[in-house]
Amino acid sequence: MFHFRWDVFWQYLWPPTALQNPLIRDGLIVTIVVSILAQVLGVLFGLIAALAKMSKFGPLRWLADVYIWYFRGTPLLVQMFLLFFGFGVTHIYGFPDIHFGIVTISGAIQAGTVALAINEGAYMAEIVRAGIEAIDPGQMEAAKSLGMTYGLAMRRIVLPQATKVIIPPLGNEFNNMMKTTSLMVVLGGADLFYGFTQVNALIFRPFELFIAASFYYLVLTTIWSFIQARIEAGLGERKAIQRAPGMLQRIFTTGRAH
Amino acid sequence: MEQPLTSATGGFPVIIKAENVNKRFGDLHVLKDFNLEVHKNEVVVIIGPSGSGKSTFLRCINHLEKIDSGHIFVNGRMIGYKERNGRLVEESEKAIAMQRAQIGMVFQRFNLFPHLTALENIMEAPVNVSKIPKEQARADARRLLARVGLADKQDAYPNQLSGGQQQRVAIARALAMKPGLMLFDEPTSALDPEMIGEVLDVMKELAQEMTMLVVSHEMGFARAAANRIIFIDEGRIIEDTTPDELFANPREERTKAFLSKILH
Repeated sequence: MFHFRWDVFWQYLWPPTALQNPLIRDGLIVTIVVSILAQVLGVLFGLIAALAKMSKFGPLRWLADVYIWYFRGTPLLVQMFLLFFGFGVTHIYGFPDIHFGIVTISGAIQAGTVALAINEGAYMAEIVRAGIEAIDPGQMEAAKSLGMTYGLAMRRIVLPQATKVIIPPLGNEFNNMMKTTSLMVVLGGADLFYGFTQVNALIFRPFELFIAASFYYLVLTTIWSFIQARIEAGLGERKAIQRAPGMLQRIFTTGRAH
Repeated sequence: MEQPLTSATGGFPVIIKAENVNKRFGDLHVLKDFNLEVHKNEVVVIIGPSGSGKSTFLRCINHLEKIDSGHIFVNGRMIGYKERNGRLVEESEKAIAMQRAQIGMVFQRFNLFPHLTALENIMEAPVNVSKIPKEQARADARRLLARVGLADKQDAYPNQLSGGQQQRVAIARALAMKPGLMLFDEPTSALDPEMIGEVLDVMKELAQEMTMLVVSHEMGFARAAANRIIFIDEGRIIEDTTPDELFANPREERTKAFLSKILH
């Protein structure tokens, strides 16, 4: 007969006690930092890929197409293995640990972050492109008629307007990103989920521990959905584009799964 | 390629010179061996049925559309292309942008930048293209807004302005680059009738001192402000005369048929 250990459950659910464990505390920090970093890089890669995809220069367009095709068409988990273990044996880059004073960034976290970012870039590319294409072509023409080059018009006129279109789906992507970072555990990257698996290896209470683990992700994504709602309300202030979904709807609707 | 700035007939320097311009959209031959000269301070109104090529020609002048053959010169400089070993090659993006900076354009749908205020719309190109100091650009922009009668709207965003007000801001925005030539592409056809007058008034005042090429069916404006009126059909100039002459004695049958439609 299974006996649910409430004491273990509460110890690892309740942050003041759970975060005393360095595996979980450091893991939480890693999850947050990696999520933000991978998302920022993903937006950057996505922007570059989107602009390349709209380029007049054929080879640049094909390169962007292949990038998006490959990284959306293969599993992220396989991409992570390929990058970390595959690249490791080629001696191109072996992902050695990097030390900054007392902080060590393991190869697994580096590879995991890069894989997440590249994968995310492929999804962001389509989001950015859709955002740019939502802007009336008359905006680019007006900017050009005033003597702006394509790059200047993009930066000053089109992208600031496209940002408003891009931010809502970008927020959903970040929600996904925070959960997807847990895949790094297969590389041995010491994130939040890894922390719980390590504790489980010591005390073997998987049911209690993984419920507690899921609770931490739920807190992260819920906090983010509040922040996202605030950002979108701010966007809507000056010019209402689309009414942002309500809080309950935001929490209880499903997003994309990797 | 340099062109003489003074035509044999005019006396005033030639601002626009189009020579045997051809433009196709796929199978559609929009401009056919199109020739036109416009002199300094002339105000030329272009009329014609939809699809006749009048807007396309306007857009070729600042290279928003490429041309398939022929030449277009503005102030003696070929637009969009340069000659290399006897063949025309497209100019660099920077060079084209510099040419466009000297040609103002006003669009049918205004195309104001919705994320910028009226004042910022006007300052945008002087500050970021001409690199004029912000304070000076702001002062210039205020003067231009006053000139189009919108001094009190400087902090309004485009969506807070009526169509007529937006178009007046768009005219001020084009003037901010101190262009030697202004192109108007059906500037009043997206406006509610009661707002057409305020935009035409600004254009009439501007016509006193500016070279203007105006695609428009506003015959009142043509009579009041234009030196010449050109009727285009199927990619060719059918008549090129003064407004009074065109209305009194249209020579061609299709001109008569067209005028009877737009004059009701």
